[in-house]
Amino acid sequence: MTLLLGNFGLAVALLAAAVAVMACIVEGRFGSLSALRTARICIISIFGLFTLSSIALMGALIDSDFHLAYVGRFTEKALPTGYKIAAFWAGQEGSLLLWGWMIAAMAVLAIVVNWKKRDREQAITTAVLAVICGFFAALMLFAANPFTLAEQVPADGHGLNPMLQDPGMIAHPPFLFLGYAGFAIPFAMMFGALLTGRKDNHWVDGIRRWAVAAWLFLTIGILLGAQWAYVELGWGGYWAWDPVENASLLPWLTGTALLHSIMVQQQRGMLKVWNAVLIALTFVLCIFGTYITRSGVVDSVHSFGKSLVGTFFLVFLLGIILASIVLIVVRRRLLRPEHLLETVYGREGAFLAINVLLLVMTAVTTVGTVFPVISSAFTGNAVSVGQPFYNKVIVPMGVCLMALMAVGPLLTYGKGAGGYLKKHITPPLAGGAVVMIAVAAIWRVTHPWALATALIVGVAAVSAVWDLITTTYRRARNGDENVILALVHTIDGNHRRYGGQTIHIGMLMLMVGIAGSSLYGAKHTVQLTPGDSGDIGGGWSIKFEKVEQTRGENYEAVQATVTVRDPAGTEMTLRPQRRFYDKAEDSNTQVANWSTWRRDAYVTLAGWQDGGRQVAIEMIVNPLVAWLWIGGIVMTAGGLLCLLPRLIPHRLADCAAAAQETGTRQVETAVLHGANR
Amino acid sequence: MDRADESWSLFMTTSRKLWIAGVLLAGAVSYLAYAGAQQGWVYYVSVDQFTQDRQQQKHRVRLMGRVSADHLLLQSAQLRAAFDIESDSNRLPVEYKGTIPDLFKAGADVVVEGKLNSAGIFEADVLLTKCASKYDPKHPTTEKRS
Repeated sequence: MTLLLGNFGLAVALLAAAVAVMACIVEGRFGSLSALRTARICIISIFGLFTLSSIALMGALIDSDFHLAYVGRFTEKALPTGYKIAAFWAGQEGSLLLWGWMIAAMAVLAIVVNWKKRDREQAITTAVLAVICGFFAALMLFAANPFTLAEQVPADGHGLNPMLQDPGMIAHPPFLFLGYAGFAIPFAMMFGALLTGRKDNHWVDGIRRWAVAAWLFLTIGILLGAQWAYVELGWGGYWAWDPVENASLLPWLTGTALLHSIMVQQQRGMLKVWNAVLIALTFVLCIFGTYITRSGVVDSVHSFGKSLVGTFFLVFLLGIILASIVLIVVRRRLLRPEHLLETVYGREGAFLAINVLLLVMTAVTTVGTVFPVISSAFTGNAVSVGQPFYNKVIVPMGVCLMALMAVGPLLTYGKGAGGYLKKHITPPLAGGAVVMIAVAAIWRVTHPWALATALIVGVAAVSAVWDLITTTYRRARNGDENVILALVHTIDGNHRRYGGQTIHIGMLMLMVGIAGSSLYGAKHTVQLTPGDSGDIGGGWSIKFEKVEQTRGENYEAVQATVTVRDPAGTEMTLRPQRRFYDKAEDSNTQVANWSTWRRDAYVTLAGWQDGGRQVAIEMIVNPLVAWLWIGGIVMTAGGLLCLLPRLIPHRLADCAAAAQETGTRQVETAVLHGANR
Repeated sequence: MDRADESWSLFMTTSRKLWIAGVLLAGAVSYLAYAGAQQGWVYYVSVDQFTQDRQQQKHRVRLMGRVSADHLLLQSAQLRAAFDIESDSNRLPVEYKGTIPDLFKAGADVVVEGKLNSAGIFEADVLLTKCASKYDPKHPTTEKRS
C-alpha cells in the first residue's frame, strides 16, 4: 500500500510537471491565460503528490514497516520515534524526497504570492519551476526510489547510524534543503524576467526576499551542521573543509554576495550582470554540491555510494549551466549598468569588492574540493590539498571581508562617499584601537590574527552604534519625538538596514568564536587510574572518579565520571561515554562538554584498559566557541528582522520629509522604501 | 606639491584603481594558494603503489588500505595502535600514536598519514576511518545480523 501510494505520487507528479511545461509553452505561443492556470494547478498538484509520497514514507518509518528497504536500512524497532522521523532524511532517497517536497512547497508559495499576475513572465517562471520539480520526480522514480521493496522482509532493521542519533541531526539537513530549495525560486524568476525583456529593476525586489529567506535557512543549516559535528564527532572541531561541508558552503558564499549586490541594482541600477550570474551560480552550486558528494566523484572520508544519481545530477547540472549562460549572453543588453562607478570608497565599490572576494573564495574552495580529481587526471596521483590550503587562502580574504563589514554602516552611495567616510571614520578607528590594546593588555594576546579580529570587532561595534545614534538623534530632533520612540521608528523604518547590521554583528561573534578556538584551542591527553587527578597545564586539572557500564534505549555505554577543575577553581562533573549501539558494529564517542561564554572544556573518553583500571581522557580547552552558536542565533534574528514587514504603519510624506533633512543616503533608502511598498 | 597631487588624482582614475586592486588581489591569492598547497600537499597512495614506488617512501603520504586481522595490537588507554595495513597483495606494518577512532578495527578501511622510518615501519600520526556514510548502507538488507 505504502509502495503503491508513494510511487503513484512520484509518477503522477512527473506527469503533472510535463503537463505544466506544455501548458506554459501553449501560454507563450497563443497567450492563453487559462493555460497558465492549468500550469499553476499542476505545480500545486505536484506539491500535493510529493506530500502524499512523503506521508507514505513517514508512515512506514514510524510504523517500522520493513517491507520498504529504506525503512530497514535506516531504522530499527527500538529507535526512539524522533529518530525514526529523522531517518526520513538519513538516506539518499529520503533526503531527495524531502528536498523535492520543499522545492514544490516553495514553488507553490511563489505561485500563490503572484496569483493575480497573469503574464508571460509568470508563465516562464512556472515552466522553469515545473522542470525542476519534474527533475526531482524523475530522479526518485528512476535512480533513487525511496519506495523500493526489501528483497526479504527482516524481523528488525539495521538501525540508524549512531553518528546520526543526535538532536542536531534532526534539524540540520531540513534547514540545508530549505536553503537549497529556496534558491531555486530566484533562478526561475530570473528566467521569467530576462526572457520577457524587463528593463526595470523591480524584478529583483521579489528575488531579494526569496534570497534572504533561502540564505537564512542555509546559514542555520550550516551552523547546525557545524554544531552537530562539534558535539558528535569528538575531535573538538566544527569545520574540517571536508567536501561535504564545502558543498554547503559554496552556495552560501555566492548567496551572500548576491544579497549585497542586489541592493546596488535596486538603488543604482548597477552590477546587473553580477546579479544574474550570482543568481544562476548559487542555484548551480546547490546542485553541484549534491553532485560531487553523492556521485562518488570526490573521495572524502565520507564514502558515498556510486549510483545513477550522479549521472542524473550531472545531466541536470550541465543543463542548468548551459541554460544560464545562454540566457545571460542573449539578454546581455538588459544587464548593462545605468551608472558608471564614480568612486571606490562608496557602497557600490564596497559591494563590488565583496562580490569579487566572495567569488574568489568560492573558486578557491571549489578548486580545493575537486583537486584530487584534477590532479589524478593530470598526474595519475590523487593529491589532496588539506586544511592548511584553505586556512591560508580563505582566512585572509575572510578577514578582509570582515573589515569591509566593519565600516559598512559608514558607506554611502554616489560621489560624496569618500568624503563621508573620511569624516566619520575616526571614532570607529579609535574604538577599534582601544579594543585591540585592551585585548592585548588584559589577556596577553599577541597573535596577529587575534589582534586583527579585536580591531575589526571594535571598529564594527563603534560604527554600528555610532550610525544608529546619529540617525536616531537626527530623527528625534527633526520629528520632535522622544529618543526611544525615535529609535524604534528608525529601526522599524528600515528593517533591511538594521536586520543586515544585526546579521553583521552575529557574523562578528562567529569570527570571535572561530579566532578564539582555532588560535588558542589546546588538546591535552591524560592517563589516569580511579581516584587519580591529573594536571593538564594552564591551571586546569582532571580527577578521574570511576568508570561504569550503563544502558540507554538502544545502546550500552561505558561511562567515565570525571571532575574537571578550571583555573578559577570551579569544579564540574562530566560524564563522557563510549556507546555501543545494538545495531552497529562500531562504538561511538559521546562527548561531555562544559560550555561557558569564555571557553568550552570538551572531554572525551579516549580509551580504557583492564576493565577500567586505567583510562585515557582527552580534554580540549576551546576558548570562545560558544560565540559561534550565539552569533548564529543573532544572525537568525537579523535575518528574520530583514524579512519582517514594517510593524508600525507610517505616512510616506513623513518619511520623505525626514529623509530630506538627513542627506542623500537617507533619501535613497526612504524613497526606495516608499517605492517598495 | 599641489600640482603633483592633482596630476596624481588625474592619473588614478576609478577604473585604474580597480585594475590595480584586481591585480594585487590576484597576486595575493595565487601566492597564498601556492603556499597553502605546499604546506598541505599530501599524496594519496594505495598500499600497492606505496610498496612498489621507492620515491613515495621518502616523503609524507596518506596511505589508504585495510586493517589486517593479524598483528593487531590496540592499546587505547596508551593511545597506541600497531597493525598491518594491507591490500589484496601487499601489506605494511604501521605504528600509530594518538586517539583511536571509534570505527577502527580489523577489516576497517583506513587512511593513515605519516612517513616510513628506517626500520621499514610506517609511523603514522593521523588515523582516519572511512565513516559508514549516511548515504551508503554498509550491509545489504538480506544479510541479517543478530
